[in-house]
Amino acid sequence: MMLRSLTARSLSLGTALALIFGFATAGLGAALVGETKQVTLQQKAPSSIDTLKALYRRPSTIPFPKDNPYTPEKAALGKKLYFDTRLSVSMAQSCGSCHSPSFGWGDGLAVGVGNGMNKLGRHSPTVVNAAWGEIFMWDGRLANLEEQALGPIQAAGEMNMPLDHLMQRLGTIPEYKPLFEAAFPKDGMTPKTLAKAIATYERTVVSDRAPFDAWIDGDEKAISEDAKRGFALFNGKAQCMTCHEGWNFTNDGFQDIGLPSKDIGRGEYAPGVIKMQHAFKTPGLREISRRAPFMHDGSLATLEQVVDHYDSGGVDRPSRSDLMRPLGLTAAEKSDLVAFLKTLTSNLTPTAAPVLPR
Amino acid sequence: MSRARSLLAVAILAGLSTGALAATQVIHQQGRAFSEESVTVKKGDALTFLNDDTIPHNIMSTSKGNEFNLGSQQPGASTDVTFKEAGDVAVICAIHPRMKMTVKVVD
Repeated sequence: MMLRSLTARSLSLGTALALIFGFATAGLGAALVGETKQVTLQQKAPSSIDTLKALYRRPSTIPFPKDNPYTPEKAALGKKLYFDTRLSVSMAQSCGSCHSPSFGWGDGLAVGVGNGMNKLGRHSPTVVNAAWGEIFMWDGRLANLEEQALGPIQAAGEMNMPLDHLMQRLGTIPEYKPLFEAAFPKDGMTPKTLAKAIATYERTVVSDRAPFDAWIDGDEKAISEDAKRGFALFNGKAQCMTCHEGWNFTNDGFQDIGLPSKDIGRGEYAPGVIKMQHAFKTPGLREISRRAPFMHDGSLATLEQVVDHYDSGGVDRPSRSDLMRPLGLTAAEKSDLVAFLKTLTSNLTPTAAPVLPR
Repeated sequence: MSRARSLLAVAILAGLSTGALAATQVIHQQGRAFSEESVTVKKGDALTFLNDDTIPHNIMSTSKGNEFNLGSQQPGASTDVTFKEAGDVAVICAIHPRMKMTVKVVD
């Protein structure tokens, strides 16, 4: 009897969920969701500073996917393609126009500028440490760097270059052919190999060692006492590390952090999933001082403003992350957090502009 | 130790909803990761999704016939999901894209 009533309740709950979330096969076709119960979890003791620091140690190698392993030929070709303005229909924009090493591999603008000098809807994300990315674009609509490479090239608002047109154009540049043949002896010059080469080059763009890394490795003088207090706040009262976790300071998760923007971000690809409305992918924080202005819409000019936003908790709406709430940081604590964030920026090694095929 | 205790707690709770039957298998979420990459259940059987992590998760699936969405599941929340159609069910956390697992539902 009890079983039956619970099942009946579960069914109605499941049906309701299916309706709310817009599943095509509402009711009979969906899994049954039972009642949620609360379990008492054992409270973990706060981590020691050494345990915390161990979570932020840099990896020693770059991960390359099995279906597109690193070769120097691919990376060299990819670099030329990345900086080649002939990849855009206007011949005025390259990947590097919006993801420039001069601006921490972004463009220093609030939002990107695309074909015909039109403003785009979102801030150009950095390419730094893309090799560790789980999913791509602010809204996560592309699964890997190879797909990502072809996205902006073809997007009408960005480089506006149909792939057949692009391959035809590259075919008229004699010096490209041998480079493709060296990098891809079997396949030669195709949209797929072009994407693989660009993605390989992008994976080699890794943030250099910053003062923070020297501190993690044991040099107590590498960062200021303010920054050390900021690190403790980052992992404690301010709870930044619940999203900005690990050495690259992101878990690639999607959160609505309460910015007053109409853009629904991830919500476009997760209709009906409440927490995905206004949610954007958590960016890493490496080279952050070179990447202003900040946020998916470039709406905050300084790190101080960013910390103020998190301290306020942002716009309270159903989609807002449950992790967002007013933090009650003091002025000194905010200043310590900013001091810490600034230790994540390296003296980024200058990138030489490549000589392009003619 | 804590996992064993949670399991016990869930076993007791799950026992309430499934009568005298054995407890359902528990999928943990500690450290932004599912405790299993792949599990097999019989059609009509349930899995327990326990958020024993320190932050909210949003476990869901859009696999045809077994769609579900637990919404924002707070730490300490435990929810049973009963799978109704045979086939592979891709279960994800909508918030954390590195969290993914497969539930193989067999007849």
